[in-house]
Amino acid sequence: MNKFLTKHLSLMCFIFIPIIFLWHPNWLGFLGIQPYWPLLWLLPWTMINGSINGLIFSFFLGLILDSVTVDNSFTQIPGLLLCGLWFGRIKIHSDILVGHFRYGLICSIGSFLCGILYFIQILFKNFSDSSFLLFIPSVQNIFAEVFLTGLLAPLICSNLLRIFKFSKEKSKILNF
Amino acid sequence: MFDIRRISTSRWWHKKKSWILFSIFLFLIFVRITKGSIYKDFYYFISKPFWPGESQKELILKSLNQEYLIKLNLLKKDNVRLRKILNLQESSDNDAILAAVISRKTGSWWRQIILNKGSKDGVQIGSIVVGPGGLLGRVKSTSFFTSSVILLTSPESKVGVWMDRIQINGLLIGSGDDYPNLVLYSKDADLKVGDFVSSSPASTLLPPNIPIGIVHSIEKPFQTKKTAKISLLAKPHSIDWVQILKVKI
Repeated sequence: MNKFLTKHLSLMCFIFIPIIFLWHPNWLGFLGIQPYWPLLWLLPWTMINGSINGLIFSFFLGLILDSVTVDNSFTQIPGLLLCGLWFGRIKIHSDILVGHFRYGLICSIGSFLCGILYFIQILFKNFSDSSFLLFIPSVQNIFAEVFLTGLLAPLICSNLLRIFKFSKEKSKILNF
Repeated sequence: MFDIRRISTSRWWHKKKSWILFSIFLFLIFVRITKGSIYKDFYYFISKPFWPGESQKELILKSLNQEYLIKLNLLKKDNVRLRKILNLQESSDNDAILAAVISRKTGSWWRQIILNKGSKDGVQIGSIVVGPGGLLGRVKSTSFFTSSVILLTSPESKVGVWMDRIQINGLLIGSGDDYPNLVLYSKDADLKVGDFVSSSPASTLLPPNIPIGIVHSIEKPFQTKKTAKISLLAKPHSIDWVQILKVKI
């Protein structure tokens, strides 16, 4: 059991993303908005496992997150797919300090991409109504989410990256 | 001389990894079709120790008294009009189900709450959810133990509302912030800040005269529409207990 947990630690974390997504703690919010949790898992995992795996698991992640939200007309999959593909091409930086800031910046850009793609869907669906009314709150949503995701990314991503690396090395030793 | 045929073990269907990925994919499709009910039920169990305490019930009863005073006034005026109209939506308070909020997403794009009562308690899709103050939203999906409620502030929410002072119907559209937009399809409507908004007697989704909010600010008229921001009476980010009312169709 212990071996199994060590080997599949990253996938265990994957299962808990929707739970954190639903948890939505108010004390962690900024203007009532939460960080975009899926990216904080996706970045370190994809950096280790590459673009193709990132693409597959970002699709899986999108499927689950779309299931737990009640908005049936909009999907998070396009944004996550784009991030999954992009994150896989990023090399792990040897300088720890630079690496930390990079996580913040990359996650902020990823969160911005996901936010914009989601907003475009909302805009497209409500185009015939009063789409101009959606602009100000949506821009506020996107930027608050970008800020919080970028703020938490250095802390969470670097730790997750270390854990996933350790888990991968352990699983190699176990397989050997 | 050389055997150039591909070795059978190199085919994708002979790889264990492909089948694992395929089974994960099938599982996720199942999760998607069931609208995440497995996750929601799992969340129900792990969040159980952290559910809100009973003291909120007293708060609800006090707020309900205030709410009923407003409703009474509206109902008297509406009674005459309702007699003339047939096939209206009705709700019965006897069927109300008291539920605790176990997950709350009141920021960002996804504005929803998850309640600890599901299909096993008789919650149906389309039931309306009211909190202290007034209407919160409608039940969009249910699992065995939980139900997901789409809030009035969600960009996907659109409900018919009634402006009592100027006797006009409007449309309340969620905008992704705490103040949904009221759209009146009359440029000359005499809308004022502080006007009371309730559910429309003509709505096919909601029972009539449920308090919703008051006009917070008025935008400049655009084409044939007049729009305003509405401040909701029921605050979804602070309510821990709600009532689910069945809607009779």
